[in-house]
Amino acid sequence: MSNFWNKLLYHDGRGWWDLPRTQWQDPNPQMEGPFGHGIAPIKRTWEIITAADYHHGTPWFYVLIGAILSIITIVEVWAFTWETLGGLLIPLMLVLSLAKFILVVGFFMHLKFDRKYYAWIFTACMMIGIGIFVALLLLLEYGNQTRQ
Amino acid sequence: MAAATGTYEIKSEHGEVINTSTGLSNKKLLMWSFLGSDVMFFGSFIATYLVYRNRSLVGPYPADILDIPITSVSTFVLLMSSLAMVLALSYIQQGRQKMGTFWIFSVVVLGAIFLLFQVYEFNHFGQVGLTPRTNLFGTTFFILTGLHGAHVTLGVLWLIFLGFGSIKGSLRADNAIDLEIAGLYWHFVDIVWIVIFTVIYLISARDVGPPG
Amino acid sequence: MQTTHPGPSREPISLSFPRIIPRPKSEYGIWSWISTVDHKRIGTLYAVTSFFWFLVGGIEALLMRVQLSQADSTLIDPEMFNQLFTMHGTTMVFLVVMPLSAAFFNWLVPLQIGARDVAFPRLNALSFWIFLFGSLFLNFSWLIGDAPNGGWFGYAPNSHVAFNPTNGMNFWVIGLNILGVASIAAGLNFIVTILNMRAPGMSLTKMPVFTWMTFVTSVLIVLALPVLTVALIQLQVDRLYGTHFYNTAAGGDPVLWQHVFWLFGHPEVYILILPAMGIVSEILPVFSRKPLFGYSFLVFAGVAIGFMGWFVWSHHMFTVGLGPAANSAFAISTMAIAIPTGIKIFNWIGTMWGGSIRFSSAMLFAISFIAMFTIGGLSGVMHAAVPSDAQQQDTYFVVAHFHYVLFGGAIMAIFGGIYFWWPKATGYMLSEKLGVINWLIMLIGFNLQFAPQHWLGLDGMPRRIFTYAENMGWENTNMIASAGGFLMAFSVLLFMINVVYSARKRVPAGDDPWDGRTLEWSISSPPPHYNFEKIPNVEHRDDFWFTKHPELIAEYYHDEHSGELTAPSGAQFDEDAAEEEDEHADAHAEEHHGDDEHGHGGIHLPDMSYYPIILAAGLTIVGAGLMTAIPVIIIGTIVLLWGLLGWSFEPVNDPVPDSH
Repeated sequence: MSNFWNKLLYHDGRGWWDLPRTQWQDPNPQMEGPFGHGIAPIKRTWEIITAADYHHGTPWFYVLIGAILSIITIVEVWAFTWETLGGLLIPLMLVLSLAKFILVVGFFMHLKFDRKYYAWIFTACMMIGIGIFVALLLLLEYGNQTRQ
Repeated sequence: MAAATGTYEIKSEHGEVINTSTGLSNKKLLMWSFLGSDVMFFGSFIATYLVYRNRSLVGPYPADILDIPITSVSTFVLLMSSLAMVLALSYIQQGRQKMGTFWIFSVVVLGAIFLLFQVYEFNHFGQVGLTPRTNLFGTTFFILTGLHGAHVTLGVLWLIFLGFGSIKGSLRADNAIDLEIAGLYWHFVDIVWIVIFTVIYLISARDVGPPG
Repeated sequence: MQTTHPGPSREPISLSFPRIIPRPKSEYGIWSWISTVDHKRIGTLYAVTSFFWFLVGGIEALLMRVQLSQADSTLIDPEMFNQLFTMHGTTMVFLVVMPLSAAFFNWLVPLQIGARDVAFPRLNALSFWIFLFGSLFLNFSWLIGDAPNGGWFGYAPNSHVAFNPTNGMNFWVIGLNILGVASIAAGLNFIVTILNMRAPGMSLTKMPVFTWMTFVTSVLIVLALPVLTVALIQLQVDRLYGTHFYNTAAGGDPVLWQHVFWLFGHPEVYILILPAMGIVSEILPVFSRKPLFGYSFLVFAGVAIGFMGWFVWSHHMFTVGLGPAANSAFAISTMAIAIPTGIKIFNWIGTMWGGSIRFSSAMLFAISFIAMFTIGGLSGVMHAAVPSDAQQQDTYFVVAHFHYVLFGGAIMAIFGGIYFWWPKATGYMLSEKLGVINWLIMLIGFNLQFAPQHWLGLDGMPRRIFTYAENMGWENTNMIASAGGFLMAFSVLLFMINVVYSARKRVPAGDDPWDGRTLEWSISSPPPHYNFEKIPNVEHRDDFWFTKHPELIAEYYHDEHSGELTAPSGAQFDEDAAEEEDEHADAHAEEHHGDDEHGHGGIHLPDMSYYPIILAAGLTIVGAGLMTAIPVIIIGTIVLLWGLLGWSFEPVNDPVPDSH
């Protein structure tokens, strides 16, 4: 069973759905996974876009990311006008902006392509920041305070 | 720095001399650490904003005043400036000087447009009666977006400087790292705006006065 | 911001900036110090400046002790007393312990990792000048008789303009923001230096513990100081421009400042103590003639303290009324942080265990650090218990606690460090005889002053009161404490006498007076301008010691396969550090290329520069302008831009005719 899941989700220790690694880290994994070779043409196209340069994308790849970012922004603004969302608005907005955040940090700032060191530094700072500020908000929101 | 340290040399893929223990560029490591530091800076301000959300005692409240369409346009402009930035870096690294220069100045223009939007917005809010001294929303809004605007201004000045360097030929493929760290800074300012746009505008644009 | 590297194949840069002042060349005289980018000179500047502020802060403390030595004393009025304790705290934290640690960072980190300078020498100079101007700015408030008076924590809304209308807190807010810039710049510099400038072979697990603690401290500085900056900016705009961050009348939250300040303040506590722990970890093995016991545990405990230090801040606020859930959570996290601290203390004791100890003055200071810090740490754990803290909050018990960790801890270790590295820095020895007397009097005076304050606190004497009534029964204890204070002052005087006496006597130290372990002892004393003629190749932890005693390598490295140090006394290699090293393994794999052709010869050091001091002056003028008038801000900005542009166009090394 665990073999099955490995086959489905991973090869070489990472998921097939993961973006292909560039030469900087590893050679790209063989085509395996649940769709076998069926996904190969799409994957190859993706590779042409992402891995053309030594460790950066091509200009068109960046334009593609820019287009995705624009689309997400449009979706955000459009969803904002949707009155029926109610309580779902905040989580939806957070998820969408998180997606934008990751796209910019990962591709525009080259963390996806660059040495892992930088990603660790930034992620560690983000984690400490998010951790303490969420704790701060919770304390101020739910603290059993004696003031009003 | 290479000669100054006298250790050993590794050339990176773009010809920049990397002679460090980790193989990472000093400048880039400095910039990433600084961005980590800036995370805490903006994080504190955003946390303050969220603490004071819905706690203004007098109006105008966000629902009375925030204009999503206009800010969406300026958000879009800043996103596109990020795209221009990454293209500029890509071309400079490839040695395509003219394209690189063009895109650097595109970033400058887009950043300036964003700043103009902000000036317009601040002006407009002032006319409708929201200043930093009006209420908690005014205080937190103006100081947070104002300091973000200050970061953008600094980035614009930096890129003008680099743009002229690119015209004169002092910024080239072999020291594209200087543009790269400016780019990191610029993208960081962009992601801060992504968060600000979500938190201040999209999430709290319908906020009215405090409950009760 | 530099657009120019001196590279082998670069044409001259066509972009230039007019040099109003020619680039400094002379290596002697006052201008060479003003324009220096040498980490050793900057370290000396840090040390001298912060020692001066140490004396100023000490005089402030003595004035308070004189006032408190008798009941109903009228020597100092309450307003003056407020200014004294505020400036004493601010000075000792921001102008003494932090920059004295920075002096050690500057002097030692490049020497210990085998580098010729820090990664960004001019940024290093900038940090110092900003620190100097910021500290002068802060203390300028004394001259206009309006020193800050809101406590070193500056609680808003108490520090708000409605309750504190004088200029004092403006000086505090802007001064600390200027100092914050200096600290962040220095922190970033040392992160990059330690990660990137290590000598070949010096992996992270072979780094001296002092360098490790510097790294952890730098990370804490870089992450914690921005939070303070934010709080200060908020208070500043409140005070100067009438915004409402901490204005309770407009709905501002009176607890928010406390949260934001202590979010910074608790990591700050570790910023103050971790360098001291690093210093002690260097002194103990040398004078015990034994490797450090449990190196990996010690390093890991330091990292753990640095991380856990973020999640304990609310223990400063147990009496605010955060509710039982929050109080319990922070009580638990606070008690948990005692675990890595305890690990360190046991490791230090383990280092001395079975060693052939030499009781030099540095060693005596280091040992008393362990004892005093343990006492302070134990009373700290008492505060972690919420009900107990409710009794101790705002009493002299707390004062006793943090003076035990900050004076008995940080300052004791720093004095030990001064006695330890003085011969390396100057080339001659400090008198050991005077050193031991200095240590003894300081230890006695310190305990005489602060041990009674535990009782005073438990007896209910509140902090920050300028006097107390006669019938409280506190006079005798306070008198003893004041006498202890003067004894401490005398010991500092003895130290200065020692410095002058030894400088006259000049007993040459030689390169390695203590049989040292780390790389700084392998070069001459004082070190040459370029530190290392040939960049050393590091094979072992404590590499220099094993170079001197090759017969001991086999004893300590009995597991040749892993190549890891296993100390004979049972210190075990620890798993977490192993993982950490694995993470970095890929980085190190690419590390050793071509060290031979660049190991010696053709030493280039960065040229001196005036721009750091110009930039720092501009920043300070802008800060002063925020308090006075817009034209001052404009002048400051012009100076700032001059410094910035001049800096950007100035190459690290001016092109020289090829002479070698």
